[in-house]
Amino acid sequence: MSFDNHKGGMIRLKNVSKIYPPNMAALQNISLHIKPGELVSIVGQSGTGKTTLAKLLFAEEQPSQGEVIIGGWDISRIKSSEVPYLRRQLGVVFQDYKLLPQKTVFENVAFALESVGSTGQRINETVSQVLKIVNLADCSRRYPRQLSGGEQQRVAIARALIHKPKIIVADEPTGNLDTINTHEIVNLLKKINEFGTTVVLVTHNRDIVNHLRHRVITLSDGQIISDEEGGRYRL
Amino acid sequence: MTTFFRIIKFAFQHFFRNIWLSLTTVSILVLTLLILDVLLVLNLATGAAISNVESRVDVSASFKVGTAADDVQSAAAYLQSLVEVKSVSVVTPEEALELFKIKHADNPTILASLDEVGGNPFGYQLVIRANSVDNYPMILEALDHPSFRDEIEEKDFTDHELLLNRLSEISYKARLFGSLIFAIFLLIAIMIILNTVRVAIFVHREEIAIMRLVGATGWFIRAPYLVEALIFSLSATIISAAIIVPVAIALDPLLTSYFETPAQLKDFFIGQSPLVFGLEFLAVAVVCLVSTTFAMRKHLRV
Repeated sequence: MSFDNHKGGMIRLKNVSKIYPPNMAALQNISLHIKPGELVSIVGQSGTGKTTLAKLLFAEEQPSQGEVIIGGWDISRIKSSEVPYLRRQLGVVFQDYKLLPQKTVFENVAFALESVGSTGQRINETVSQVLKIVNLADCSRRYPRQLSGGEQQRVAIARALIHKPKIIVADEPTGNLDTINTHEIVNLLKKINEFGTTVVLVTHNRDIVNHLRHRVITLSDGQIISDEEGGRYRL
Repeated sequence: MTTFFRIIKFAFQHFFRNIWLSLTTVSILVLTLLILDVLLVLNLATGAAISNVESRVDVSASFKVGTAADDVQSAAAYLQSLVEVKSVSVVTPEEALELFKIKHADNPTILASLDEVGGNPFGYQLVIRANSVDNYPMILEALDHPSFRDEIEEKDFTDHELLLNRLSEISYKARLFGSLIFAIFLLIAIMIILNTVRVAIFVHREEIAIMRLVGATGWFIRAPYLVEALIFSLSATIISAAIIVPVAIALDPLLTSYFETPAQLKDFFIGQSPLVFGLEFLAVAVVCLVSTTFAMRKHLRV
């Protein structure tokens, strides 16, 4: 229940469809291949299946048809008991941050390590290191409600980085942020990608996509309508 | 071991960092336990009232004048040996005469009739009390024992038969009704606890989903909430005991003097406190744990 060393950051979808009852197709026959270390933007208007696609990658949803392979691991029919092991090898960032409101910044980031039984010393070292990367070392004792939106999203990124994942899935990470914070978060994701982590960025922010000038996959009505290297936002 | 201590730490963190929710949950559990405790007090008070009435009932057997004291004593010994019999007292002819005179002291006509009869018209009497009103028919059968039935002139059971039957019926119905009310309230209490815990877990549904999304196993997420359920149960039991014990101490002498029979509140809530409050804790804890497990199951499917 772990990623293949050589395919750690690889994502492959083969003929994937997701149909919600009674007959609502969120994704139709999607096939794509993301190589380890790539930064890929998945774009499209609201309701085109971007978030469904992201949810398939961290097994919050399972495909109705087709195969989802993450780091060489076919998670199309993943068992509920295996899901935590998948999520420890992925980093996930959400639009609404999804921080634990009753835990401090330090505790939010440490939780993922505590859940796998890491020692206190390792947790202290790793969390401090990651908080420095996202420039929040001074906020470790604050609660999420005491932080700005941008700071909360950086905590979420720190939490996503804590297991040193080979893949980060960011679902509309800048959706609730102003322009300055948006650029900070995008630059942070870019920096993470430069260290070799595969980054899948789900967004409908035209400026971000055009600024990144990386691979852009465009969805419309649950189907891929374009997949371009160095692409731009064309909707 | 590290994980075990983390689970305990998280449970106390949940409890204290959501202090208002914790206090609300514990308060509802305390009120529920107090309702059950009050019903227990009422059951004990009903029991004391019934015992009081039952203790006033007895059956007396009058022996023929001239029956030997030894025969009466052996009949008394036989009756005392029966498990259904609580006590047997022997009234001598002299005592019976004295009691008769006291009873009719204000009626000179009746007292004058004693002079006309001449001498003591009373024989020995046995006053028999049963352990339960249901036992009187058996005691009356025992009075028909061949070794002394011919010596008995009169049994006053026929006068009491209706009263005894009625009392037995009332006693049975009161206990049945008490048990029924207790069972209904117990069911209501279980439903209150189930829903209280469900609400507490519902408030945490997003946190539970987030923990799942960052890779925590179901067990690691669930365990602190189960420990927290135990903290709720223990706190509620301690607080309800701290309220009900002083009330029981204050009420016990009042009920005892009112019913003229020990109300046994002190004995129940203090003498048997480990059992009473231990069972209360166990019952609340089991309901809370089951409720937590079921309530969390839904939110863990992320």
